[in-house]
Amino acid sequence: MNCMPYPGLNETLYTTVLPNGLPVYVLPKPGFAQKTAYLAVNYGSIDTAFTWQGKAHRTPDGVAHYLEHKMFDLEGRDVAAEFSALGANSNAFTSYAMTAYYFTCTQAFQQCLSLLLTFVSTPYFTAESVEKERGIIGQEIRMYRDSADSQVYEDLFAALYRHHPVRVPIAGTEESIAAITPQTLYQCHGAFYQPANMVLCVVGDVDPEQVAEIAGGFFSGASLPLPIRDYGPAEALAAPAPLTRRVMDVAMPTFQLGFKTPWPGSGLAGARQRIVGDLAADALMGESSPLYLQLYRQGLIDSSFAAGYEDLPGIALLSCGGDSPAPEAVRDAILAEAGRLAAQGIGEDLFRQLKRSALGRRLRGLDTISNTCFRLCAAHFDQAPYLDFPQLYAGIEKEDVEEFLGKTVVGEQCALAIVLPRTKEG
Amino acid sequence: MEQRIQLFPGVWLQCVQTQRFKSACLSISLLRPLRREEAAMNALLANVLIQGSQNHPDLQSISQAADRLYGASIGPLVRKNGEIQTWGLYAGFLEDRFAPARDPVLEPVARLLGELLLQPRLENGGFSAGYVEREKNNLINTIESALNDKQAYADRQMLQAMCSQDNFGVPRLGNVEDVQAITPDSLYRHYQAALASSPVEIFYAGSAPAQAVAGLLTEVLADLPRAGLVPLPYRPLGRRDTPQYREQAMPLAQAKLSMGFTTGITAASPDFPALMVFNALFGGDLTSKLFQTVREKLSLCYYASSAVYGAKGILTVSSGILTENYDRVKGEILRQLAACQAGEITPAELSAAQETICSSLRTVTDTVGRMEDYAMFCQLSRFTLSPEAYRQAVTAVTLADAARVARQVQLDTIFFLKGVGE
Repeated sequence: MNCMPYPGLNETLYTTVLPNGLPVYVLPKPGFAQKTAYLAVNYGSIDTAFTWQGKAHRTPDGVAHYLEHKMFDLEGRDVAAEFSALGANSNAFTSYAMTAYYFTCTQAFQQCLSLLLTFVSTPYFTAESVEKERGIIGQEIRMYRDSADSQVYEDLFAALYRHHPVRVPIAGTEESIAAITPQTLYQCHGAFYQPANMVLCVVGDVDPEQVAEIAGGFFSGASLPLPIRDYGPAEALAAPAPLTRRVMDVAMPTFQLGFKTPWPGSGLAGARQRIVGDLAADALMGESSPLYLQLYRQGLIDSSFAAGYEDLPGIALLSCGGDSPAPEAVRDAILAEAGRLAAQGIGEDLFRQLKRSALGRRLRGLDTISNTCFRLCAAHFDQAPYLDFPQLYAGIEKEDVEEFLGKTVVGEQCALAIVLPRTKEG
Repeated sequence: MEQRIQLFPGVWLQCVQTQRFKSACLSISLLRPLRREEAAMNALLANVLIQGSQNHPDLQSISQAADRLYGASIGPLVRKNGEIQTWGLYAGFLEDRFAPARDPVLEPVARLLGELLLQPRLENGGFSAGYVEREKNNLINTIESALNDKQAYADRQMLQAMCSQDNFGVPRLGNVEDVQAITPDSLYRHYQAALASSPVEIFYAGSAPAQAVAGLLTEVLADLPRAGLVPLPYRPLGRRDTPQYREQAMPLAQAKLSMGFTTGITAASPDFPALMVFNALFGGDLTSKLFQTVREKLSLCYYASSAVYGAKGILTVSSGILTENYDRVKGEILRQLAACQAGEITPAELSAAQETICSSLRTVTDTVGRMEDYAMFCQLSRFTLSPEAYRQAVTAVTLADAARVARQVQLDTIFFLKGVGE
C-alpha cells in the first residue's frame, strides 16, 4: 500500500486501489483497542433516477435505505448475530448521498472484516423477507414523523429546493416503499454496489497489508459501467418556499434556517468551501460572534442553536437551527448582521481565533476512531484528501469568508422551516 | 497509569496519565444528594457560572478565550446517578504537544475552569439577575423539550411513577415549578453552601503527570471553601407488591411503552456483572431476545431494548410500537423474561452478551471522555472494579448465574404513551 506520513498530525495513512477496483484507506492507531471498518457505497437516497446500461431508471423513494436494511440478510445466516458472537457491533446508515456499513470490534478483526465484505457483496432478497421488512421500515418512518428534529430538517430541504431529490425524506414514505420488490433491490445493488463505486476505510491498531489482502478476496465479478445519476434540472439560487410551518407536539418552536449557495463541485474546491463555509457560520453566528451573544441575551436562541455548512452533489447551503420563541426574528437578525459584516468586515482578531479554534477541534477529532473512519469515506467520495486540512486552513483568509457570506446570506436565497407547538395553535 | 490524590478535605483528583491522545479532559464535579429541594438549583448553577466570570464577563468573552485555547470545549456537566446529583464543569482540549504554536493549553484551561467555578460575575453581592433569569428560561425549555423525545418522556414518566417514594424519581434537571421558584439570591446562597459542603471529584486524562496536575489544581482551587461535608445516600429501590400501570394519550404515529423492573442488585453487589450479562442478552443489543423476537421475528416494533440503573438496581425496557399491539408486545416481553428465568438461554446467547460487554469495556480507555464517565460511574455507584477486572467478572458469569439474577427481576411499573390518531 502507499504510505503517506502526516508528521504534524502524528498519523500515517495507507492507501491503495485493489485489483478488484476497491479503494482502501487504513489509518493505524497503535495502542487503541477499538478497530473500526466502514464499507461505504457512493449511493444515497438522492440517487433514485439514473441511466444504467443504456436504460433510464426511476426507482421508488427510500430504496437505498430499504436496501441497506435487507443487506444484512444472508441465506440461512444472521449477520448481526455473527458480528455479535465475534464481540463486534455492526450497523449501517443511509444518508442523502451515502450508504455505509460498519463494525467496531476489539478482537477477531479479520473475521469481522471478512464478514463485512461478505454480506455487503452478497445480495440475497426473497419476496417474504422484503415483505416483512416493510413493517419495520414503516415503523421507522413513523418514528421520524414524530420527531420534530427530523421533520424540520426535511421541511427545510423541501422549502429550499424545487427539483433536487434532497426534497424527499431519506427513508421515503410508507406509500413509496410499498412499491419496492426483491427485483428493485437486486437491480440497485447491481448498479451501485460495485467496488469502483465504494470505499473501504479502516481505523485502529491493524496491519494495512492484511486489510488489503483480505479485501482483495472479494468482488471478483466483472465490473460494469457505473450508473449516470440524474438530480433533475439545475437549481436556481432563489428558494421556492421562503417559509414553512408545521404543528407538532413540541414544547417550544424549533426551526431550521437555510441559505443556498452555489455548489463548488467536488475535489479541492469543495473541501475548501466546506472550511470557508464553517468559518463563515462561526463568524456570523457562532458562540464567539457578537450576534450570538445578542440573540442569546434576547432569549431568541439557546444552547441548542447550531450553525454550519453542508453540501451534497449538486447543492450547498449554510444552515442553522435550534429552539426559539421567535424564529422569524432570528432570521431577520442574521440577515441584518450579514449586511453589517459585508459592509464592515469581520474583525481580524476574531477571524484568527476562529481559525485557530476550528483547526484545534479538527485535530482533536482525530482521536475519535469511528468519526475519523466515516470522514475518510466521505472525503474519498468527495475526491478531497481528508488529512490535508491544516494546509487548507492555512490558505484561507478573512476576505474568503467575507465574500462567501456576501454571496450566501441574502434574503431571496433563504428559507425558514418552523415546527410550532400544538398548544399554541391559533 | 492511574492515581487518586486528595487535594483538600473531600476534594479528590483522579488522574490517568497517557500519551495516546491528541485531546485531554479535565472535569470538576460537586456531589450532592439528589432531592427535590435543590435539584433544580444544582442543574441551574453550572449554566449560570459559564455565562460570565470576573475576568470574562460574558458568554462571548468566555467563548473567545476557549477559541484561543485551540477550540477547547468548556461546558456545564449535570449528572444523576442513583440518588446522587452532580454539577460542575467539563473541558475537552488539545494536548499541549499538538498545539501548532506550541503554547500551553492545560494550564490556562485549568485556570479558566477554576475562575468560572469560584469567581462568578457578581452584581450587588449576588449572581447577575439577568443571567439567572435567562438561564432559568433556558433550563425550563430544556426540561420541556424532553417532550420532543417521546421515548425519553415515557421512560421518565415511568421512573417517576416507579420511584414516587424515592428520590431517584427526581429528574436530573429538576422540575419546572422548582426552576421557576429560584431567585438570584436563593441560588447564590445555595452556591455558597454547595461549594463548602459538597464532596468534589476532579478527573484528568492526558499526558501531564499526576503530581503536576495536582499542583496546578491545588493552586487553582485554593479559594474553595471547605466545611462539614453533606452525606450522600445509596440504597436499592424497594419492591412493590403488585405492578402498577399508568398511561397517557398523545397524538402520535408510534406509541411508546416503558416498563420498570426491580432487581435488588446494585453496582455494589457481587452479582452486578451477572445482572449486566442478563441485561445484554435480554434486551441490551441486536442479538438480544427482545430485539430478536419482538422486532425481528414478530415485526411488532422498531426497537425494544433494556437498560440498567446500577446504583438503584432498576432495569427498564423501552419499545416503540403500534398502540393496538400493546398486549402482544407486553406479553412477549414478559414471556422472554420468563424464558430467561426458566434458564432458557443458549450458550451462544450468553457468550454474545458477554462479548458485547467485554468489547465495550476494552474501549473504555480509547477516549478521554469514556474514561471520565467510567471513573465517575465507579465513584457514584460504588462500583469498585477496573475495566479489566470487570471484564474478567463478566467472562466468569455462567448460564446458571444469568438465570438466577433473571429470577430476581420483578415487574414494578408500566407506563404506556398511547397514540391517538394524528
